[in-house]
This record gives sequence, C-alpha cells and structure tokens, in this order.
Amino acid sequence: MLNAKKFFCLAFSLCLYSPNAWAQNTELRVVTWKAEVPKVWDEAVADFERQNSGVKIFREIGPQSSTQIHDLLTQKLKNRDPRLDVFFMDTIWPAEFASAGWALPLDRYFTAAERAKFLPAPISANQYRGQIFGVPLFIDAGVLYYRKDFLEKHGLAPPRLWPELVEQAKTILAREQGSQLVGFSGQFKQYEGLICNMMEYILSGGGALWDEKRMVSALHEPAALEAVRFVRDRMIGEISHRGVLAYEEPESLALFTQGRAIFHRNWPYAWSIANDPASSKIAGKVGMAPLPSFAGARGVAALGGWQLGVSRFSMKPDLAWRFVAFMTSEEIQKRIGLATGRAPTRKALYEDAELTSKMPQLKLLLDTFKQAVPRPTTPVYVPLSNIMQRYFSSVLALPNTDIKKRAALAARDIDRLLDLLRERQMP
Amino acid sequence: MKSSHRAALLFLLPSFIFVTVFSLFPIFESFRLSFYRLILTLPWIGQKPIGWQNYIDLWDDPVAMESLFTTLIFVGVTIPLELLFGLGIALVLNDVFHGRGLLRAVVLIPWAIPTVVSSQMWRFIFNDRYGLINFIFFGGDVSRYLAPLADPHLALIAIMAAEVWKTTPFAALILLAGLQGIPDDLYEAASIDGATAWQKFRHVTLPLIRPALLLALLFRTIDSLRVFDLVFVMTQGGPADTTNVLQFYGYKKTFAEGMIGYGSAIAVAVFLMSLTFSLAYLRFMKTSHHEGMTR
Amino acid sequence: MKRPLALALFSFGIALYCLVPFLWFVLTSLKSSAELTATPPKLIPSFHLGFYQSALEKYGLLHYIGNSVIVAGAATLITIAIGSLAAYAMARLQLGWTKFYLMILLAISMFPQIAIAGPVWSILDRLNWLNTYQGLVATYIALSLPIAIWILTTFFREVPSEIEEAALIDGCSRLQALYKVVLPLAAPGIFTAALLVFIHAWNEFFFALIIMTDPDVQTLPVGIALFPGEYTMPWGEISAASTVATVPLILLTLVFQRGIVRGLCAGAVKG
Repeated sequence: MLNAKKFFCLAFSLCLYSPNAWAQNTELRVVTWKAEVPKVWDEAVADFERQNSGVKIFREIGPQSSTQIHDLLTQKLKNRDPRLDVFFMDTIWPAEFASAGWALPLDRYFTAAERAKFLPAPISANQYRGQIFGVPLFIDAGVLYYRKDFLEKHGLAPPRLWPELVEQAKTILAREQGSQLVGFSGQFKQYEGLICNMMEYILSGGGALWDEKRMVSALHEPAALEAVRFVRDRMIGEISHRGVLAYEEPESLALFTQGRAIFHRNWPYAWSIANDPASSKIAGKVGMAPLPSFAGARGVAALGGWQLGVSRFSMKPDLAWRFVAFMTSEEIQKRIGLATGRAPTRKALYEDAELTSKMPQLKLLLDTFKQAVPRPTTPVYVPLSNIMQRYFSSVLALPNTDIKKRAALAARDIDRLLDLLRERQMP
Repeated sequence: MKSSHRAALLFLLPSFIFVTVFSLFPIFESFRLSFYRLILTLPWIGQKPIGWQNYIDLWDDPVAMESLFTTLIFVGVTIPLELLFGLGIALVLNDVFHGRGLLRAVVLIPWAIPTVVSSQMWRFIFNDRYGLINFIFFGGDVSRYLAPLADPHLALIAIMAAEVWKTTPFAALILLAGLQGIPDDLYEAASIDGATAWQKFRHVTLPLIRPALLLALLFRTIDSLRVFDLVFVMTQGGPADTTNVLQFYGYKKTFAEGMIGYGSAIAVAVFLMSLTFSLAYLRFMKTSHHEGMTR
Repeated sequence: MKRPLALALFSFGIALYCLVPFLWFVLTSLKSSAELTATPPKLIPSFHLGFYQSALEKYGLLHYIGNSVIVAGAATLITIAIGSLAAYAMARLQLGWTKFYLMILLAISMFPQIAIAGPVWSILDRLNWLNTYQGLVATYIALSLPIAIWILTTFFREVPSEIEEAALIDGCSRLQALYKVVLPLAAPGIFTAALLVFIHAWNEFFFALIIMTDPDVQTLPVGIALFPGEYTMPWGEISAASTVATVPLILLTLVFQRGIVRGLCAGAVKG
C-alpha cells in the first residue's frame, strides 16, 4: 500500500513537471483575414506548431476590408476578450490601440537592437509616446505604374512632375484615338485609400494634412488647396473618367491590367499581378517609378503595411510574442515575399540574392520605402480620417463645390477633434 | 379563472425573459450611454456624464442633419414606390388564372434573397465596366458608360432602386391579403349599379384595403428608417456622403470611431423618429377601423 | 381586371421585374473568367461551372450553408414555440395590459439594431456564448419574437373559443388545447410567422458578423461577405455562392406560398 501511494505521488509529480503537460492544448488565437495565397500562411503556422509542440494556432478569419477588420477587433478588445492573443494592425492603428489600452507594449521583447534590423518608417508608425506596440510584417508605399510600351512608342520618359504626367497622358490619348484608353487610374472612393492618394499630392506640393507641432489642421492652407484643385480639375477632370470616384484597389488595378489605363497609382503588390499573363493583358509592358511631385518639392509615397500586435488581455503574452517574432523572422518574411509579392520589413532581406532575383523591383522600392510618409499618428486617427474622407470626396465628386469653404469646414471639425487630445494632463 | 390566469403568465414567461435580456436591457444601455461622453480610444476621458450635450451636438452637426435629410428622402421615395408596385402586383395576383401559384412564388424571390447577396448583386449590376444597367442603356458603346455608384447625383437613386426591388414583394403580399378579404358581392353590387372598373377600384377596393395599406406602410417605414446593409455593401456612405443615411452614420461613429456616447444618441434619434411615425399610423388605423366598422 | 391579354402582359412584366436582376447574377456565375470581365458584358454565358467548383472547394460554401440551416432552423422552431405560448396567452387573456405588452414589443422591434449590438455582445461574452450556435440563435429569437408574437396573436384571436371550451370541458389541459385545437386552426398564421422568422435569420448579417468570428460556425451571409480576398473581388464565386444560397429559400417559399397568402389573408386585414 505504501508503495502504491508513493508510486502515484511520483507519477503525479512527474506529470506536473513534464513540459508537455503544461503546453498541452495551449491555444493561441490570431485574428487575420482571408489570405490571397493561403499556402504560405498555412505552412508558416504548421512550422510554428511543429517547433512548439502542444501549441495550436487558431486563426479567426475576419472581413477582407481594413475598416471592417478594425471594427471587429475593436469590438473584441473593448470587451477585454481574453481569447484574443495576436492580431494584425493596419499601419494607422497602433496609436489608437495603444492609447485605448488594447495593445500590449512590446518594449521588453522587441529590443532596440532588434528594431534596428527593420526599416525605420514602419517602426516609427508602431510607436506611441515612446513605447512600441507592434512588429511590422510587410510594408507598402504608393508607387507609379505606367505602360512602358506607350511611353516608349511616343518617346517619353517616366514623368517626374504631376503636371508632366497629365501632359504626357493627354499626348498619348490624343494620338491613340478610339482605343478606349484612360490616362490615369487611382483610388478615389470615399474610404481610407482616398487619404493615401490625396496626401501624395498634397505633401508633394509642400502642403500637409495637419500641423503636428501646433496640433491644428492644415487642409485650408494654399498648398493643400492647390493640390486638391489639381486632382479634381486635371487628374480626374482631364485625363481620367468619373468611374475612379468609386474605385478601391481591385477596380483601379483591373482597369490597368486590362490595358485601359496609361498611368496607375497603387501599392507594390500590383507589380506581380500586372506582370502575370494569367491575370493581366499587359504582362511585360509595365514600368514602375517613384511617384511624381510638384515643382520645388519631393515626391511623397504614403506609407502602408501591416504589423502584428499582442492583445493586452491575452493570458499568454510570452507565447504570443514568440509567435509574432516567428512570423516576422527573416525566414518567414522571405517566404511571404516570394509567394505573395509583399515587400518585407527587414533591411537584410533587401540584399538577399534569391529574393531580389525573384523580385527585382525590390531595389527600386527600397528608396521609396525609406522615404515613405506615414499618416498622422494619433489615437483619434479614424474620426480624423472620416472627416478628411468626407471633405476630399465631396470636393472631387461635385465639380462646382467651393474648395476653400469645404476645407474650412473640415478644418473646423478636425480642430475640434484635436482639442480633445489637448485635454490630456498626463505627460 | 385564477389557474388559467397563472397558466397564461407562465406561457408569457419564456418570451418575456428573452426579450428583456436581449432586447430591453441593451436598449436601456444604449439610452443610458447617450448621456455620456465615452470615446474608446481616449480612455482618460472616462465615462463623463454630459446630460443632453450629445443631442445638442447632433442638432449642430451638419453631417448628421444631411444624413437625416438623406434618410427622409430615402423613405419618402421608396415607400410610395413599393406600395404602388406592390398594389399593382397584388391586383394581378388577386385574379384567378393558370400559373398564379407560380407567379406568386416568383414574386417572392426578391424578398427571399439575403440582403448581402442582393446588395452585392446590385453593386455588380451598377458596375461601370461590366454592369447590366450600362449595357441596357448604352449597349456596346463603352465610352458612354456611367458609374452610378460613383456619381453623387446617381448613387442614392441606385440604392433606392435596389431597395424597392427587394421589398416590393412584402408590400405586395400584405396588400394581396387585404384584397382577398374584400367580399365578391360588393363588386357584384357595384356592377349592378353600373360602375366602371375605375369606379369600382376607387369606391370599393381602395377604402377596404386601407387597413392593409396602413399595415404595410407601418412595417416598411420602420424598416426603411433603419436601412443599413444596403449602404454598407454598396457604397459605404459615399460618394461624398450622398448615401450616408443616419443609421450608417451612427454605425461609423460607434464602431469605427469609438464614439459610443454620440453613436448611441444617433440610434436613439432614429428610434424616436420610428416611434413618431408609428404612433401617427396607429392613430390612422384606429380611425379607419372605426370607419370600416360602420360600413 | 379580367381581360386576359392585359393580365398576361402585366404578369409577364411583373415576372421580368422580379427575375431579371437575379437571373443576371445566376448567368454571371456560369461564365468563364474571361467572360466575367468583358466590356461590354456578354449576355449569354458559356455555361462554365468553374466558379461553382471554386466556391465549393476553395471557399467552403456547403459548410456555411450548413451553419445557416442550423441557426435559422433552431431560431425558427424555438421562436414559434415560445411565441405561440405567448400569443395564446394574450389572445385568450383579454386583460388591458396585453395591448400594452404588444405595443412594447413593437417599440422594441423599432430600435436600430446597430446600437444594441454592443451590449448584446457583452451579454453573450459573459455567458460564454460567443462563437456558439446558441449565442446567435438566442439573439435571433429575441429579435424575431416581436413580429412573431404579433402575427400569431392576430391569428389566435381568430380561432373561435367555443371549440377550445369544448376541448377543455372534455378534460384537456390548456397546453393540450393549444396543441390539439388552436394550432391546427391557426396553421396559416404559423406558416407565415415561421417563414418570416426563417428568412430573417437566414439573411441576418450584422449580428452574425460580430458574434461568429470562428469560421467553423459562421453563417452564409458572413461567409459570402468574406469571399473577397485581400485585393480581389471574386464576382464569379460570389454570384455562384449567392445562387446556391438563395435556392433553398426559393424552394421554401414555393412550398409555403399558398399557406402564407392564405395566412396573411386571414390576419392582416383585421389588424
């Protein structure tokens, strides 16, 4: 009897100290969206599970649009859902999630030395009040695509200035009569992408969306007004068609890949789609260049991209961090890049022979990424964006609106919003 | 009597529990929150009680007023059209003919289609490159193709067309029920008196379907004031906010911007509008009921 | 309105109006990838089943349909059961406050659902019913009860109480009387209410989106909403899925349409 008791105690304690017993059935929940190329994600997850036995990754698939995933995430986080561990963040959310107390500060895991291995712009987009809240997984920045064949045929070099682009498009359109061509295809629907497109014009003309030092709106400044006027009257009015006012990325890209547009503004992912003969009629005829600017200023690309964050209410932050570190590691980022054409965020990968040979556009993109400009980093970015979307959309879609008046109204609403931030007494 | 009384209360209990927990309580929460300033992303503000300030801000908010106007236009245009088409369909279905059952089933199809499906479908139909509407109006002439969902003058019309298509069957069904309740001898009597078809319609049909008409009006108005799915899928409130109905604006404020207090105030405002309309209709229904009784 | 030609013309017009948009979508689902994005659009497809295959295999269509059947079916059965009890009580119990209760129910059903979504989510969270069938079903029951009770009460009131009294005298309990006597007589009303509840639960999108984030239990509207990939809009698969999603509803309405019409006929006019 004594032996049996001893045996059971021993067996029991052995179970307690066996690492597998603790790790058994540990589930890590990740919120993501339906991937374009699911294989690479499935493989990465399977690898992680293999390397961490007993851990299962459960992926919750959210809606495809960034806005909808945002609303879904905020709903869970607002209710302190403990069954959410890791999530994707669009580049404009870290400040909001940090301020609301939803994202876990990752400073103790994500050291300065580690951070230095990543491109600087996305890192700063993940920082709020001196702490870091996410790890960038891939980076996006606006680029200009153009039809190499048309430009060569008419002896034109890729434009460095926006007015030059308009003139080139008009020339080509005049000479290619009856081809149902459109000069420019961009994203001007009333959604977040509109801000990216518009800021590329405004900032490359010396203007700004808001004055960060004085915390007031800058939309009513002359430079900003001029840029908006240019887009309405020249980009859309002269060389594009009104349909672009309803376009997000898919529709605008489709116009280009079907050979109907001369110039196209989009994110880097479009390169591989446009050059894939299975989905594009213009494979091989596509050129890529940095976005143009207005005279006297530099071209500006809007910074985009997605990062991984950890929920502050997660019960397994260490494990969650291990997953985040794994997914943003050099190996996985390289795999993602090769499979999906997404640009990695680790500097070293831009020197990687295999990656750069398969994605030659990376060299060109590196400069763009280094100079990409993020949208305002503020916890109230979403309401701010909605006000700006409303302003831009109403000015672009209704040709006779008074731009100055609308800008003043938007500026008033933005200032009221920013006042809320000033109420804060804490440092 | 007492035991049946108790039985009755017992019968009411399950529904009462569900309704209280999942409907009444959330509604009161919403009401309560509308009196606070609560912004999710600025938690240091906390839950500040601000009395009627949200409602005052709503009144001063030009976007809210515009969206109220948009909503009223939406309701004011779609409801009469639904009732008109519904009445037409009901009159046809009221007759006995071969294949009537089949037509009845066909008529129910738009209503049976899930809203998200129907919204996507109409979005595709209004597409500016390969949409059916463009093809019907302009044939193969692609250069003249329109983009209704991108045009601030056309977007709301497109949304209203989609709504009328989807909900006309519901109105038709209710009106059909009303029509079938009219006894045939009334028509025969009118024929004997020498009435024409139009006179029969005006003096027999219309007055007697008034209750059904008002019922359809009531339910449709309540639903119409809350339209959301259609806008969410087709236009997301744009272009230039021309399809930004009140409910969608409330959604953006609550879920996208985290302004829970203000968003709740918008929801309460929509509710009060529905309530007002309903009370007005019920008043009408009471008087028409009395009129009907005296016939 | 007895002239056959006018009748035929109107019937044809009505059928066109109701069918064409949906038919267009169905035809789209039968196109090939190239035909899909042809400008101008091609009217007659090449009857290509590729999108259906893709929808079923890559996008898991059957699975979403299964979930919708479970959720909508359960919601309908339970709503009708509970609603019948309540409606019976109110039809027989002519107290002053039954009208009041009906008014409250109507008022509740008028409240914008967007605003109560947040608190409902919190409640389900506390009950640990998120991402479960019972969580969504409970929500749908609460949302559908008002209209179900309204319709059922109206119909139950039509059933003459003498038949019931006879049954009671014969020794039936209240519940048996309800089950054996009233329900069969009020069948059209039950059909109407059941179909309305089912269609509402089948179509419902917003609550399903925020309550069911686990792909295992997601319903069809959410599934279709998730079809779009990161940057593409798969119109082909969406139209295929939509066709498959709508066919059961159409069959149901075909089966029940006689009952519905008879049902609304008897009840609606009396208000």
